[in-house]
Amino acid sequence: MPDFSKYPIPDKVFLSGQDCFHLMLDLHAKKHETGGNVMRQVFYFRHRVNEKKIRTALLQSPAIHWLCNITLNRGSLFSLPFWKYTNAGREIRIQTHEVELPRTIPDEILQREMPVGAPAYIEADFLYYSSGESAFVLSWNHILLDAKGSALLFAHLGRVGEGIIDDAEVLFPKTEQEPGLLSNIRNMYGVKAFIQQSSKKPVSSVFIKKSASGKNKCLQLVVPFTAGETQRIQEAGITAGSKFGLTHYYLACCAHIIHRLNVQRGNPGPLWIPVPYDGRLKGSNGPLFSNNVSFIFYRIEPEHLKEIPLTVSSLVKQMTDQIRTGMPKKYNLLLSMMRHFPLWLYYFLISRTGEGTFASFLYTGTGENFSQTAHFTGEKLSGMGMVTALTFPPGLTFVFMKHGDELSLNINYSPGVISDTELNFVVAGIKKLLLNS
Amino acid sequence: MKREEISNALQQFIQTSILAGGRRINEHSNLREAGVDSFSIVEIILFIENEFAVVIPDEKLLPENFETLFTLSAIVYELKPDAH
Repeated sequence: MPDFSKYPIPDKVFLSGQDCFHLMLDLHAKKHETGGNVMRQVFYFRHRVNEKKIRTALLQSPAIHWLCNITLNRGSLFSLPFWKYTNAGREIRIQTHEVELPRTIPDEILQREMPVGAPAYIEADFLYYSSGESAFVLSWNHILLDAKGSALLFAHLGRVGEGIIDDAEVLFPKTEQEPGLLSNIRNMYGVKAFIQQSSKKPVSSVFIKKSASGKNKCLQLVVPFTAGETQRIQEAGITAGSKFGLTHYYLACCAHIIHRLNVQRGNPGPLWIPVPYDGRLKGSNGPLFSNNVSFIFYRIEPEHLKEIPLTVSSLVKQMTDQIRTGMPKKYNLLLSMMRHFPLWLYYFLISRTGEGTFASFLYTGTGENFSQTAHFTGEKLSGMGMVTALTFPPGLTFVFMKHGDELSLNINYSPGVISDTELNFVVAGIKKLLLNS
Repeated sequence: MKREEISNALQQFIQTSILAGGRRINEHSNLREAGVDSFSIVEIILFIENEFAVVIPDEKLLPENFETLFTLSAIVYELKPDAH
């Protein structure tokens, strides 16, 4: 094991407002007995991957070392929660699996939990398929690393593989400057009013209370698209008016199919979807750790669900309005301020924010984070996949990922929320919608 | 107002409000390669509206117009009524 004593690892790393939000999701997952707030990134290779090379990078990375050697200090009244570096000398757990079907991930990995208090917050798995192909899976607790942070982590591991160790400021977040109390209170009322208006009842969610147990279930279904289909989807998105990237087109297609499902269930109504918005300054190598995302909150009324271009237009306007008023930054300020509250009060306030309203479904996309990623630690990739943490409720998350010229849609779901027949309906419908066929 | 002045103001905004510290761009740097993503484009459009009182119409919202500071400032210059 390398000697990390000379590396300037901070003794304490304070949780950001969003980290505390994810800490709440962790508690929430425990309460609902769902699979936990774990993210998984999968790298596929056509060949048997050079395991030794990746193992070496993992073991020599100060980032991985930190993730395996910290404990959470929950703080007390008006003192912030923080991660304490324990320097316990723990190494990342790495397992290997023989798998029959290519591109499948064993249930053992999908259902694995690493909640607060676990010995480590990241684990690695090598999958060897009988076809001769292989995969590498990294799983981590979402409290510590968001999707962009994971892209930065993989770039970091690539550099470690080449013998380059990043400076500590690439890894760890800087201490945030907080505004004064009065500004905080004014901001809090503004954000609260906006979210209450945006999520006001009625909202139709795929989560219907009586269907309710998410116990131990996080399933995933991958819908792949060829390069030709991806091109068609891109053209359809532009034609539909998705002028700032394809996010609004993807989201509109998801909204349409969920609306159709809700109509089938006799439960149509407005949809409400919080979508992650990366708050980092662009082009930076860090910080890797901590959640640096905020949200754009979209509400879609049924009259805007008649045609895709109408939905796209409504989404574009809502995003522009929220960026114009600085809502994502204000929402983050609110979460930052709430870190000073005891965790039980934070949990109470967060769970009350939407007055019991659940998001209609969840949506996330990796944007261009991985579209140009051709190699991992020098090994040529044949594909990538992401299995996000399944937030329950609502228990259904659409994840769009572009790798190279090919788009894939991962649907993460709890079978307590959506039946097999309904899932087939969603998959067939969303393919048609995306391809405009 | 000259196109170069528009370009300088845009450069200042992008370097301080969009890009990470230390990232520098010039008139011909590819903005996407520098890290400007689709959400940042919205921030840039809002800056243009506030700073130059120019609304970029839908037909001008093309990737090629947002490729570099040069192409972007040329569009704003073209649309700005008092620029000529």
